[in-house]
Amino acid sequence: MLVDFEQIKRAQAGDSVAFNEIVTAYRKRILGTITRLIARPEDVEDVAQEVFLRLYFSLDQLRTAEVFEPWLYRLTVNAAYDYLRKQRRRQEYRMSDLSEQQMIMADALAGGRADSDQREAKKTRETVDALLGAVSEADRILLMLKELEGLSLKELEKIYNINENALKVRLFRARQRVLKAFEAVAKRKEPVKAG
Amino acid sequence: MNRMHDSIDDQLESLFRAYREACPAPEPKPEFMPELWRRIEARQRFAFSFRRMANALVTAAVAASIALGVYMSLPHGVSSNPSYYTSYVEALANANTIETPDIVAPVRLDLSDSQ
Repeated sequence: MLVDFEQIKRAQAGDSVAFNEIVTAYRKRILGTITRLIARPEDVEDVAQEVFLRLYFSLDQLRTAEVFEPWLYRLTVNAAYDYLRKQRRRQEYRMSDLSEQQMIMADALAGGRADSDQREAKKTRETVDALLGAVSEADRILLMLKELEGLSLKELEKIYNINENALKVRLFRARQRVLKAFEAVAKRKEPVKAG
Repeated sequence: MNRMHDSIDDQLESLFRAYREACPAPEPKPEFMPELWRRIEARQRFAFSFRRMANALVTAAVAASIALGVYMSLPHGVSSNPSYYTSYVEALANANTIETPDIVAPVRLDLSDSQ
């Protein structure tokens, strides 16, 4: 744990310095998780702030220190889920939807100014994002927490409050659906490679 | 077939790994904390004004109930109006006494003039 329970207790009592310390300790981790969950860099800070906002207003409900991290993850998952539900557009990156930063990026890509690493990273993000379109938003987040965040089943159990077997079944089904989508993409690509 | 499935599985694994590397945690912007506190205060203000409005509404409702209760318990105007003491049948009998034959007497038709 990145903070001790004393800090949490002080924050619960309304100490803004203690709350700032908690945010500072966790914000990079939360930003990273949200980046991978929503795949829209321009909205990451906004969602992260929503997570800490929810934390601030629900901190008094926390009773024990050991549930703090799973609880913070649950807030993160819920905020990301709400965001994805609102968006629903995923891969539809129309030019009218692009932020100024993305427009610059798109221009640079079109003009060949962006370096190949950046282009490759963007392509990977888009591919995974499209593949995860094969599952529901809830399963997409679950799969990402397992595959990308590397959370264990025990940790996921605490976050989702469901038993390990149910979790395993959900994960297996979600992974199978993604695998199927990936297989279809791979098959489509093969003739191109041959030609 | 199984080997092909395994290879797809491996490819997916490596794609996930590449995705993880393609999505590094961004550095928080300097305005992250001030913006967060601005949002917290905005929500607190909203909650506070909502609570105040709700309190005012409850107070007004309680005051109105008390006022209405007091008004209803006062015997104002009751003694001057005798209809408060009579039943519906009595009030009807009072209004249509036997001295009002146009209502209670049978209708007589005089047909001699018409012939």
